[in-house]
Amino acid sequence: MATINLSPPQITFSCRCLSSSSSSRNAPTLSFYSHFSPSHSSLSVSLKHRNNTIKHRCLITASALKNLSETELVPVPVVPEEVSGKLPSDSGVYAIFDKNDELQFIGISRNIAASLSAHLKSVPELCCSVKVGVVSDPDRAALTQAWKSWMEEHIKATGKVPPGNEPGNATWIRQPSKKKPDLRLTPGHHVQLTVPLEELIDKLVKENKVVAFIKGSRSAPLCGFSQRVIGILESEGVDYESIDVLDEEYNFGLRETLKKYSNWPTFPQIFVNGELVGGCDILTSMYEKGELAGLFKK
Amino acid sequence: MGSRGASVLLSRASRIKTKLQSTLEASIIEVEDVSHQHAGHAAVKGTQGETHFNVKIVSPKFQGQSLVKRHRMVYDALAEELQSGLHALSIIAKTPEEAAPK
Repeated sequence: MATINLSPPQITFSCRCLSSSSSSRNAPTLSFYSHFSPSHSSLSVSLKHRNNTIKHRCLITASALKNLSETELVPVPVVPEEVSGKLPSDSGVYAIFDKNDELQFIGISRNIAASLSAHLKSVPELCCSVKVGVVSDPDRAALTQAWKSWMEEHIKATGKVPPGNEPGNATWIRQPSKKKPDLRLTPGHHVQLTVPLEELIDKLVKENKVVAFIKGSRSAPLCGFSQRVIGILESEGVDYESIDVLDEEYNFGLRETLKKYSNWPTFPQIFVNGELVGGCDILTSMYEKGELAGLFKK
Repeated sequence: MGSRGASVLLSRASRIKTKLQSTLEASIIEVEDVSHQHAGHAAVKGTQGETHFNVKIVSPKFQGQSLVKRHRMVYDALAEELQSGLHALSIIAKTPEEAAPK
């Protein structure tokens, strides 16, 4: 089963009622993962749950949230791209059910639609329907409280922790190391090319929708501008090819040839539908204006 | 319009400024050498700096041009610099209307 991890947490929670690892009865360590857009950082929090000491605090925001059992079960669209249209992009808590209507995971997110879209891409077989609880005034405390209240309700009703929230279960988090490998233009420097490099480049950008020529690899960019570009492409969730222009073994001569081909003197260079969109500046500007999603759909 | 010898004595930043000002009729031009921010960069090692610049330029010539075209205009104006060690440019290219405060 594919597992995905979000990038390291930027916000850390301090956990109340956290004791040392003594095992008291019915004290599972619960965890949840959040999806923050656009940087996709994650929170992971462990709460020691003690049945006999949980106090229900009456927060105004929490009381606005419906109970898990009262919340409507909504089918998840089969196509991830439809999620943002059908489900809210707000902050809140969500509960995912599989095709047997079994609760698999309760999570919190700053962008529920984005989180669901990501889950749908990685574990589609587990995402059949969902309950969504939007939290108004979603500060950290309110989100955590909402999550806790749903979690407790479920545990009280079923006596179990959802499988995805079990400690050590990484089904619902994204691993950055699972990125696609970079493309190589040639089989190696020692191999004679039968076709000019320009033609290989031309073929590449025309056969692949989104192509990014970067310095370094997508998992380890070697330049700040390239890194920013990768960050944006990953955040948009678009399928793209990456080519390392510094790779002298498999992409020998690429830098000079590409500069001539695109009539563009710097890297990174991003092509969409065979056309140069620009470098980091242009991509960033389009991303901030929200123009990228439309561009990638064409 | 100085002789080639004289222009080499000026810093790259001032050369960039002059070239952009004349070629693109810039009303506002700001050039900042940020090479030190990229000191760890593989391509910067062994150079004397003057490799990475931020450029902000406001010019009526950008009217009706896409971002890609605008950046190309800037690059074309600086072709000589790009061949002699200029490595990267962060470009902000606006028309006078776009740059005007709201």
